[in-house]
Amino acid sequence: MTVLTSQSTPQRTISIRSPAIRIVIACIAFAALLAAPIVLPTYFVEIGFKLLIYIVLAEAWNLLAGYGGLVSLGTSSFFGLGAYVTVGLINQAGAGPLQALAASALAGTAVAIVMSRGLFRLRGLYFTVGTLALAEALRLFVINVPWFGGATGLFVTVDLPEIAALFRYATLLLALAALVMALATGSRFSVLLRAVRDDEDAASQVGVRAFRIKLAAFIVASALIASAGGLQAIKLGAIEPYGSFGLQWSVDPLAIVIIGGLGMRFGAMVGAVFFVAIGELLADYPELHVAITGVTLILLIRFAPRGICGLAEAALRRRGAAPQEAHP
Amino acid sequence: MPALDVILNALISGVLLGGMLALTALGLSIILGVMRLVNLAHGEFLVAGAYAGLFLLQWTGIDPLAGLALIGLVLALIGYPIHRFLLVPLAGKGPEASMMTMFGLSIILQNLFILLFSADTRAIDRSYATVPLELGPISVPQIFVIGFVISVVLIVAVHLLIARSRFGRDLRASADQPQAAAMIGINVSRVHAFTFCLGAACAGIGGTLIGVALSFTPTSGASYLLTDFAVIVLGGLGNVLGTLVGGIVLGVLQSIGGLTLGDGYRDLVGLVLFLAMLSVRPQGFLGHRA
Amino acid sequence: MTTTSLHQWLSRRAPLARRLVPIALLSLAAAFATAPARAADEIVIGASIPLSGPLAGFGSFQKWGYSRAVDEVNKAGGIAIDGKKMPVRLVLRDDKTDPNATAANTESLLSRDKAVALLGSCTPALVNAGALVAERKKIPLVTACNPLEAFKSVRKWTYVWDLFFHEPELAAIPFKALRDLKLETNKKVAIFHDNGPDGQVVGGTLWPNMAKDAGYDVVQNASFPIDNTQFTSIVAEAKAKGADIVLIDAITPQAVSIRKQIASAGYTPKLLVIEKGAEPVQFAEALGKLADGVVVGGYWDPSFPYPGAKELATAFESETKLTSSQHIADSYAAAQILLDAIVAAGSLDPEKINTAISRTDKTYVVGPIKFDENHTAKLPLVMLQWQSGKTPIVWPADRANGKILFPVP
Repeated sequence: MTVLTSQSTPQRTISIRSPAIRIVIACIAFAALLAAPIVLPTYFVEIGFKLLIYIVLAEAWNLLAGYGGLVSLGTSSFFGLGAYVTVGLINQAGAGPLQALAASALAGTAVAIVMSRGLFRLRGLYFTVGTLALAEALRLFVINVPWFGGATGLFVTVDLPEIAALFRYATLLLALAALVMALATGSRFSVLLRAVRDDEDAASQVGVRAFRIKLAAFIVASALIASAGGLQAIKLGAIEPYGSFGLQWSVDPLAIVIIGGLGMRFGAMVGAVFFVAIGELLADYPELHVAITGVTLILLIRFAPRGICGLAEAALRRRGAAPQEAHP
Repeated sequence: MPALDVILNALISGVLLGGMLALTALGLSIILGVMRLVNLAHGEFLVAGAYAGLFLLQWTGIDPLAGLALIGLVLALIGYPIHRFLLVPLAGKGPEASMMTMFGLSIILQNLFILLFSADTRAIDRSYATVPLELGPISVPQIFVIGFVISVVLIVAVHLLIARSRFGRDLRASADQPQAAAMIGINVSRVHAFTFCLGAACAGIGGTLIGVALSFTPTSGASYLLTDFAVIVLGGLGNVLGTLVGGIVLGVLQSIGGLTLGDGYRDLVGLVLFLAMLSVRPQGFLGHRA
Repeated sequence: MTTTSLHQWLSRRAPLARRLVPIALLSLAAAFATAPARAADEIVIGASIPLSGPLAGFGSFQKWGYSRAVDEVNKAGGIAIDGKKMPVRLVLRDDKTDPNATAANTESLLSRDKAVALLGSCTPALVNAGALVAERKKIPLVTACNPLEAFKSVRKWTYVWDLFFHEPELAAIPFKALRDLKLETNKKVAIFHDNGPDGQVVGGTLWPNMAKDAGYDVVQNASFPIDNTQFTSIVAEAKAKGADIVLIDAITPQAVSIRKQIASAGYTPKLLVIEKGAEPVQFAEALGKLADGVVVGGYWDPSFPYPGAKELATAFESETKLTSSQHIADSYAAAQILLDAIVAAGSLDPEKINTAISRTDKTYVVGPIKFDENHTAKLPLVMLQWQSGKTPIVWPADRANGKILFPVP
């Protein structure tokens, strides 16, 4: 089983590898992000919020697909779920944003557990199609069942937090996502997850409890996505099923990871930056915007299958390789 | 409780409608079954077919149903370069790459349709599409009967092509074991090219039928895409006759759902059934692969 | 750090710290790349409208209406702010028919493009998403294309203003017309409506109540999702119950499908009202003869006796070679109201502009506009009927320029 051995070969340390320093740097970086709204102009805070939400979604998708082989088109089901749970709790129970977001994560977990039994029987393409159907079914359910305001949706009845506060919530969510990803990808869990991805049957035979491993990844991803959905709902102040369960929430994270680099460590992040930046750059050409996103996607998949990160790595390797050849 | 004739009518329209759903799903089914490609641009292929039918009628006066073969050919010709230049270079790069390429194509096509044809709602205006066919207490839309017949003929034809012809043998081999097929001298990439064109042609024909029976806009592809996934999973992935069965099962259940819960629940009933089916019997009604 | 070690550094396993450095660097890069630029001596007005996605049709009319009003002001030399004439720049963004995008666009119109005032999108979901941002940021927004009850139900507005039709008036049209025109029916009504914001209000609440009050018998009331495609069951039920009057509230693709399915079920109601969906020309183009006799409420027609009404439609048709729509009138009027308010305020201060909007009292191309305490202004309604590709006004008598076709052929 090549996966088990392809796990990173330890490299010689430089000081930055030491855990304590890494943690310190991480804390400083997050502190900087938390403080950012004080110094940044509003525009950048707003863009930053969007960016943070996309990174969280893309990281969650990457955990499922990149590491677990679970190619999901159901991100929007958990995103919409989180949005509705959050607004419902804020309106009906007078919950604060943090409580509501935590509850959204719980709801995401619950739905992930309930749906896992059916979805995990599906392999490969079937899983993809199944998650797509789940998202659509949830959307239709919310549209038709009278409790959720139909296509009108729900409005947040209390005053909404300022964008700076929302940015900080999003930063906390990203910190959580980064922590989870670091634990999930840097531990034994990631080895198991990849073993399941590469050959579920073989992994099961050597005693890996495939179902539990997949479920754990699915729960974590779903909880993160649901919280992101809740946060977006708080920002909007008004939600309705077409926007909250829209296919774009399923496809954008996928596009982001592919643009950034599937299975690449920084893929989600770089992809999200690119995705948001191109949206802003093309904002003055509204008729072209969507089509150009499509063209970019096709070109990147075609000519840079490992995404921008792959390109960057290859470029660095070329530059790094030259002197090595000169001085072997 | 609705009257007996209303129930009977609903069931019969369900069967007929199911046949038409199967036709719209056929192209997706062929491509998914043989190429293992989730064609996220399938909905746009349907819409392209509907536009092709509309303009065929407007420019030449040829009735779109009489010109179905021509529309199929046009879509196949559009499909070929898409396969050649977008999909062939991605061979061996995993399913996400092709799936996302098709997604990229779908948003480009949507915008192209808006640019070329405006965002207007269109329908192909034929008098035979809006008259009932009455038989005693039973009255069904005539176009549903026409659509059902076209659907059955086309699906059986494609089935025979795959099950009986030499090409079909190559195709089945390419679908089941691409590497082995290549080894025994089958030109897998040519088989895939043909499959893709065939899928596009079938989608075009299905789209024309939607245009005649219902209505369409540049963006209506997405909702058909989802229904079509339900149809082919119910019928069994890559099983052509199963697509017809899946369509009819879905059509009937949707009609029952529409009748008992209201038309709003039609699609929901279909999808819940779809999810249930996926978790109980992912290979579909007619599938035999575990 | 040499390139080699940088590469090693980059390609190593991935804990927290390194995830953040690229974020910081790249967002900074992205930020600078997209940094806003605005000349100091222009007035920026922003609008996020649907230029792609299912509502792109509305967006194209809005784009024309908004642009025309701004162009006219600029041709006249701009607007004097603190005594200095400034040109107006209209910044349009595409919200792709997605309320998430409307909200994001509206934010960046304010923070990036420094818009001093805003114009609205179209349909309640999109307009409200943008309006909530405007309200939070205390920037005035004038919109049309959002039925007044759907607008009022969101919240008590301070900075957002809406001119459009009022749902109760729209819902009352069929019953008033039946009475005034003395149309004979079996008094049985079937209602089909989508569960969108205005569909719920008009079809779910207003029509049933008004039918009862006017002595009609509602034999069926069916609700469906906005993007439903199959209506065979509800049509069959209405036919079985023998309703002479069918009242429908649905968007155009669904309206076309329903009309076809009514015909192909062999069902021939005497009065067929299709609100919302039957309004644009594409409805009649898609249906051909089947459109004849379908009735729809309208809030504007080039024949209305308001200044510039006829010219507006003529200008649109000669510029775009398309058939005009009432949506050019309300978007044109919304933009004019906002521009007039900026003129009246003589300032770019949002509060002053907002106050000036509240004082609006003038006859525009859509009729006299004066906002009430809910920030709404009602547009008067007429009943239009499709007859051979045209929509003559068939009710009320004082506006009518055609005779009703009854029963539906």
